[in-house]
Amino acid sequence: MAVKMAWVVDEQKDNVATILSSDVKQGMVIPVTLLGEDLQIKVLADIPYGHKVAIKPIKKGETVWKYGLSIGRAMVDIEVGEHVHVQNIEPMRGRGDWAAQKKGCAC
Amino acid sequence: MGKWYGYYRPDGQVGARNHLLILSATIYANSVVERVANTIEGAVPITHHLGRCQTMSDLKMTFNMLCRLAKNPNVGAVVIVDHFKEAYCNIDEMTEEIAKSGKPVEAVNIRDAGGAIQATAEATRKAMYLRRMLSTMKREEADISQFLFGLNCGTSDTTSGLSSNPALGFCSDRIIREGGRSILAEFPELMGAEEWLTAKAASPEVAKKIIDEIGSFEQRILATGEDIRGSQPTGDNIAGGISTIEEKSLGGAKKSGSATIQGVVGNGEPILDKTPGIYLMNTPGHGAESITGIAAAGAQVLVFSTGGGHTIANPLMPTIKITGNINSWNKMSDTVDLDLSGILAGKISLEEAGDLIYNEVVEVLSGKLTKCEILKETTGFAIHRVGISI
Repeated sequence: MAVKMAWVVDEQKDNVATILSSDVKQGMVIPVTLLGEDLQIKVLADIPYGHKVAIKPIKKGETVWKYGLSIGRAMVDIEVGEHVHVQNIEPMRGRGDWAAQKKGCAC
Repeated sequence: MGKWYGYYRPDGQVGARNHLLILSATIYANSVVERVANTIEGAVPITHHLGRCQTMSDLKMTFNMLCRLAKNPNVGAVVIVDHFKEAYCNIDEMTEEIAKSGKPVEAVNIRDAGGAIQATAEATRKAMYLRRMLSTMKREEADISQFLFGLNCGTSDTTSGLSSNPALGFCSDRIIREGGRSILAEFPELMGAEEWLTAKAASPEVAKKIIDEIGSFEQRILATGEDIRGSQPTGDNIAGGISTIEEKSLGGAKKSGSATIQGVVGNGEPILDKTPGIYLMNTPGHGAESITGIAAAGAQVLVFSTGGGHTIANPLMPTIKITGNINSWNKMSDTVDLDLSGILAGKISLEEAGDLIYNEVVEVLSGKLTKCEILKETTGFAIHRVGISI
């Protein structure tokens, strides 16, 4: 097993990879292995260790896939190479705020 | 097959420790309990802010949790202290319940003793004789089938779901192949992982229960009317790259490995089914509350997977901490026991890491101390509440 800079869990389905380097800076091109091929992803922001990068375009409202399963949805259009985190994706579960809106509560 | 060495209890359970527990029945016994535990070698205090002015469901939860912790096989004997008289959380009802395990239980009431100083003296003397008796007990050979294994994670980051949690899953699979049982808890942190979990359920009934109970916890969250973001995932999870509760859940569930899920139990409930496998326990994601529930069910040792590093340790159940993040190992190895950063560095496989955890678990079961036991870190104790103080 070689050291990877970015790790994709489900290579068929996932549209994000996890960065496993502390040196990933805006403008760098990093290799991401997907189904035997090395994609070259140009990183559009500094991405900290353990944070995610988009490896496929994700449109607003589309599902973000990791582990081959949904980890939420995009709040805006996300380009390949963008830092994927709380500023551009959101959870669909446990949303008390949505439940309150549905009940028409102003809280 | 792994063997370990533990203390046989009258009810047939086997303990990894031989603790003398000094237990507060209510908040107002805490200072006496602390004085006794400070005086007696090897005594472990459990103090808390509960046992009074709680809704009836919470009062019963406090009673059940405290009694079940006292029944954990890591406890050899118990001294309970209360200050006057409460419903449930009093020395009479607690002594009766804990004594069902067959282990020695002594009790002191502060008012009946004539106040805090007399009560401290009485409880200290009782504790001394119990401690002396416990010191004559010897460890005897036990089998992995006599082991109930706690699984938990906290201060998770994205390395948890990629490395330390799946490695812990391999360890749990091996424990279960050798006849043991594992507990997976933290239900809000399973929201989004239902599909992955139900695929491993022993029956359609178990699968339905998994969906229903995770769903009922979600309903409690929805009823708050508040946005979950910022609470779950937590601030440290977000710093570590976890963006949503679903992402946290999918990573967290991995620590249950590939073994069959045999059943679902309530928070702190004993697991009567002896079939090897995974048992889900309906606790919150709050780490101290969750591992307290697991200890109350009788687990002897717990492995706590922590991408970001952690100080948590239950006072009665040795809590082995593991990390797959080299930065966290470098910062937090005072209280983290095992470095599994070799997984992401490409040096060891998940299965090899699982074997490293397994070896550590068997050694700790047999008496090796965790770092937090040596440092007397006991932050991993808290009782979940469902209602208000009244």
